[in-house]
Parts: sequence; C-alpha cells; structure tokens
Amino acid sequence: MTDPFEHLIRATLTDLAEEAPIVHDQLSRAERRVRNRHRATVTMGAVGTLAAVLIATPLALAATGSDQPRPAAPNPTVEPSPPVPTPSGPATEPGPVAPSPSAKPGPPGVPGQPGPAVEPSPPGPAAVPGVPGAPGMPGGAPGAPGVPGRPTPTVKPSPSEPVVVPSPQK
Amino acid sequence: MDEDERARLAEFVASRTPALLRVAYLLTGDRNAAEDLFQSALARTIPRWGTIRHADPEGYLRVVMYREQISWWRRLRRWRETPLNPADEPVGADPSGGSDVRLAMRAALRHLPPAQRTVVVLRYYEDLPEARVAELLGCSVGTVRSRTHRAVSRLRELLPEVDMLEVRR
Repeated sequence: MTDPFEHLIRATLTDLAEEAPIVHDQLSRAERRVRNRHRATVTMGAVGTLAAVLIATPLALAATGSDQPRPAAPNPTVEPSPPVPTPSGPATEPGPVAPSPSAKPGPPGVPGQPGPAVEPSPPGPAAVPGVPGAPGMPGGAPGAPGVPGRPTPTVKPSPSEPVVVPSPQK
Repeated sequence: MDEDERARLAEFVASRTPALLRVAYLLTGDRNAAEDLFQSALARTIPRWGTIRHADPEGYLRVVMYREQISWWRRLRRWRETPLNPADEPVGADPSGGSDVRLAMRAALRHLPPAQRTVVVLRYYEDLPEARVAELLGCSVGTVRSRTHRAVSRLRELLPEVDMLEVRR
C-alpha cells in the first residue's frame, strides 16, 4: 500500500474507529430481539396457516356442493370386457356397392369373393328377347315353326352392353 | 441454553463488543446504525451459539455483520434514514494541516454504497487479502476487486482536491 490515497483511507478509517460508541448490556437487548423475532415468526406462520384455511375452505365447499351431479362411480361388479382385436389393415368387405370410376383399387392381397355382377342398365326400355319355339321332332317332318317371339323393339347397342344374342328364329 | 453456556456467551459478548462495535461503526458510519447492526448480528448468532461456541464465534458474528450490512432488506430499511452529521458538510481549508483532508475523506466514505464501503473496511482497516474478503462476503475475488476499484475511484471523484492538499502538506 504505497499509494498515499490508500494510506489516507487507512488513516481515516483508524480515526473513525476510535469514535465508535461504547454501549453496554448488548446481550440482554439481543436476547430480547431474538424473542421478538421468534414470536413474530410464530405469529406469521399462524397467520399464514389461517389465511390458507380461510381461502381453501370456501373453494373446497364450492367444489363439492355444486348443482351438477357427481360423476358415476365405476361399478366394481361389472368386469370390463376384453378388448376385441381388430385387424390392423383396412376392412374391405365386398358388397353390392357399384364400383365408381374414381374408386381406388384395393390393396393387393387375397382377393375377396366376387360380388354379384353389376350389369349396366341400358338407357332405353329393357329389351326382352323372344321366346324360342319348341324344337321339331328329329327325323320327321319339320313341324310347325314355333311361335316366334314377340318382336322386340329395336335394341340399340350401348357401348357398354355386351353382345346381344338375337333370338333364334327359324 | 443452560447457565454455563449463557455465562460463556455473556463473557464473549462483554469481551468482544468494543472491537465488533468499531467494525460496525465503520461499516455503517452512524452510531445508532452501528448498534442496530451489532444487535441484529448478535441476535442471529445467539440461536446457533450451541454449535459455534467451540469453533469461531467471533468470526461467525463478523460474517453475519458483513453480510447483514450489504443485504438487500437492510438496505431498504436504511434508505429511510438520512443521517446528517457535521462531517457531511463541506470542508474548508484547515490551517492545522491534514485534519481537513481526513474530515473530507470521512464525509466521502459516507457516500459509498454499503457493498463498496464494506469492501473498503475489510481491505484497508481489517487488512484482509482479497481472497479472504471474497470468502467472508460470499462472492468472487473478481467482485471484490471490482468493488474496491469502484470505491477508490468514487472516493477520488468525491475528493478532487486531495492531491493538491497532499502536495501542500
């Protein structure tokens, strides 16, 4: 500490220390302060506990005394059913649902049973083929030809319609 | 606390009170505040007397005083007080030589914040090294150095005429 400024600080502090107060009976005052602090701590703890009870009690009563019915308690006699295993894949059951053009094909795998064939309905009236006549007796004169079927109206083949089998007329 | 322990405590307080009050007075700069600081530290020490009486009760009491002085709660309480002593007044020229500088330094010490004042007292009055000061205050050595530097710089700002007075002497 060769700095004169620091030496000045040191000398000033030494002088100042000589002016310290001379006070007796510090122990009894300190003990009184300890008792007051202990009493204040106990009081504040009791006040805090009381405040917590006063705040929590109305909240607890409001929670238990509400108008809504209580939720049903679980019945101990009913055993919970075991969980039904479900297939992990998508359930694709073939049904009579007409395939739409936008329908995506199913995943490759075991093909399901084919459903009933869906026949495209003709736009016009249904073409009923004529009733074929009874076949003649073989070996004999040809018999009368069978009653021709009723003339069917003109069947307009639709592009989606399969081959139209004409009625056998002889 | 039984009678034997209380007698030892009373003996300790009676023997060490003057020295500890000097430190408290240097820390606070006020007689009433020094007494209050010492009693507060003593009140914190008495409940632990049974465990520290065989170790270093004075060191424990000093640490309590140092940390109590720079504690935030105590600072709040102290801001309400505005001690006005004659030493706070501006100091004029002193024909006796030297005393005006010390009075000015005493007044400047009062303007230091508690943390810086505590470091100054520990470093320049108690003659403690920086590491010991850091241990007592519960901070790092760098913090002690920075506080000391700021305190000395602040004192130099408050006493710009000290160098001139020193030359005059």
